[in-house]
Amino acid sequence: MSEIEVVDLKKNFGNIEALKGISFSVGRGETLALLGPNGAGKTTTIKILTGLILKYEGRVFYRGRLFYPYDRRIKSLIGMVPQHNNLDKELTVYQNLKLHGLLFGLSGKDLEIRIDAVLDMAGMREHKARKADYLSGGMKRRLVIARALLHEPEILFLDEPTVGLDPAVRRSLWDFVVRLRTEGKTVILTTHYIEEADMLSDRVVIMDRGRIVAEGSPKELKGSLGRFVLEVHTPQGIKEEFFSSREEAIAMAKEFSFPVRVREVNLEDVFLRYTGRRIEV
Amino acid sequence: MKGVLAVYYREIVNFKNRWLKVWSASIIYPILFLLAFGYGIGREAKVAGVGYVRFLIPGLIAISSMNQAYGVSLEVHISRYYYRLFDEYLIAPIARWEIVVGEMLYGITKGLVPTAVLLGYSLVSKLGYNVTPSFFMFLLLHLCCFSLLGFIVAMVVRSHADQAAFSTFVMTPMLFLSDTFYPIEKMPFFVRPLGYISPLTYSTKLIRASLLGYEVSKAYSVMLVVITLLLFWGALWVARRAEG
Repeated sequence: MSEIEVVDLKKNFGNIEALKGISFSVGRGETLALLGPNGAGKTTTIKILTGLILKYEGRVFYRGRLFYPYDRRIKSLIGMVPQHNNLDKELTVYQNLKLHGLLFGLSGKDLEIRIDAVLDMAGMREHKARKADYLSGGMKRRLVIARALLHEPEILFLDEPTVGLDPAVRRSLWDFVVRLRTEGKTVILTTHYIEEADMLSDRVVIMDRGRIVAEGSPKELKGSLGRFVLEVHTPQGIKEEFFSSREEAIAMAKEFSFPVRVREVNLEDVFLRYTGRRIEV
Repeated sequence: MKGVLAVYYREIVNFKNRWLKVWSASIIYPILFLLAFGYGIGREAKVAGVGYVRFLIPGLIAISSMNQAYGVSLEVHISRYYYRLFDEYLIAPIARWEIVVGEMLYGITKGLVPTAVLLGYSLVSKLGYNVTPSFFMFLLLHLCCFSLLGFIVAMVVRSHADQAAFSTFVMTPMLFLSDTFYPIEKMPFFVRPLGYISPLTYSTKLIRASLLGYEVSKAYSVMLVVITLLLFWGALWVARRAEG
C-alpha cells in the first residue's frame, strides 16, 4: 500500500488552473521530489496534502484512508517545513518549539525531552533561550525543520527547503535530508534546484504549469535520454544531442565548427525535453 | 482542548513580553477619558440620577476592556499574514473551534487588565460600586463578544488599511454611541437606532446596572447572549474556511 496516493488532483485560483488533474503515489520510506519552475503547482500540491487548502477536486489517500483537511489522525503523522520560516519572531527558540509540541498534543516531560532532542539534532541547544528574530537565516531554517520533527512525524513535507540559503547551509540541509531517508521517514520535497532533486530523491515528479510531465527515478529519467549530452552553441542558440557514451558524443562533436560541450545528462535536460523550456525560477 | 491551550500559550507568552505596553495602554486610555469627560464636565454634574464620574466609570470599563479584547484582531492578523504562523495551527491536528476559543480566552485575559485598573481606581476613590458575580458574568460576555469580533475582522480583512477602516467606521462610532459617555436615551432619536445595533450598548448598560446595583434588564442580557453566540458562530464559520 502506498503511503500517499494522489488521484486526479485539480485546483483553480479564480481563472488560473494551478493543478490540472495530477496523480502520483509515494511509497513508505521513499523520498519524492516535486521538481518544477515557479508556478508549476508544487506548493499548491503540498498545501492540499497537508490540509492547508480545503477546496480542491480529486482525492488524496494516506495509507489507503481518504484524507480530508480536518483528519486529526492523518495530520498527526505529518510534519511540514514551509517555504517561509513561519516562526513567531517574538518567541524564543524554546517557546516556538513548545508551541508546536502543544499543538501536536505533547506535554510535560515528554515535550521537554523531545525539545532537547530536536535542539541537539539541529545543533541549537545553546540558542534555546534566544528570540527567533535574532537568529541567522540558516538557523531559522534549522529551527523550522527541528520544529517539524518535534512530534516525530512519519511523513515530512519540505517545501523549497533550501531557497535563499548560502551553499554551506544548503549542503548541511541536504545531509540532513539524507539522514531522514536512512531513518526510514517518507519525505516529499518540492524544489526547483535540479541537483537537489537529483541528489536527494528516490523518485522525481517533474511538474510544469499544473501538470506532471515526467515521473521516475533520477537515473531512469536521465537514462531515457541517454547518458551524455553534446551541447552545440550555434548563433541561433544551444542545440543538444544525446548519446549513450562519452566517446560517441565526442566523435559527433568533431563534426561541428561551433563551440561544443560534452557533459552528463541532468534532470534539466529531461525537463527541456518534455516541455521545450528550461526551468526558470 | 490541547489546541486551545497551545493557542493561548503563544498569546500569553507574547502578552508577558509586552506587559508594559499593555498595562500602560490600559491605564492611559481610561485616564484620558476620565480627565476629558469625567473631571472636565465636573464631579457635581449628575447623569441618570448619579454623579457623572460614577456614571462614567462603568462605561470606561466597557470601552477600555473592549479595546483590549478587540485588539486580538491586530495580533491574529499579524500572525496570519506577516508571520504566517496561522499555517502552523491549520496543519496541526486540532479543530478550528480550538483556535477560536484560544484567541477568545486571550482577548478575555487582555480585557481584564483595564478592568482591574479601573476597579482599583473606583475602590480608592470610594465610588461605592457593587462588584457582584453578575458584574463578572456581564463582563465575561462583553469580552467574549469583542474578542470574537476582533477574530472575525482579522480573518476577513486582507490588510492593515482594511483593519484601520473598520476601526474608523465601526469601532470608533460604537465607542461614542453606546451609552458609554451619556445615556443612549439622551441622544437624538435618529441616532439611537445606531446605538441599539451596537453590542457595546447592551454590555455597557448591563455592566453599569450591575455596578450601580440597579435592576438588570433581562432583554439586554438576552441580547448580549444572542450577539455573543452569533459572533461565536461567525468566528467558527470564518475559521473553518481559512486556508493557508
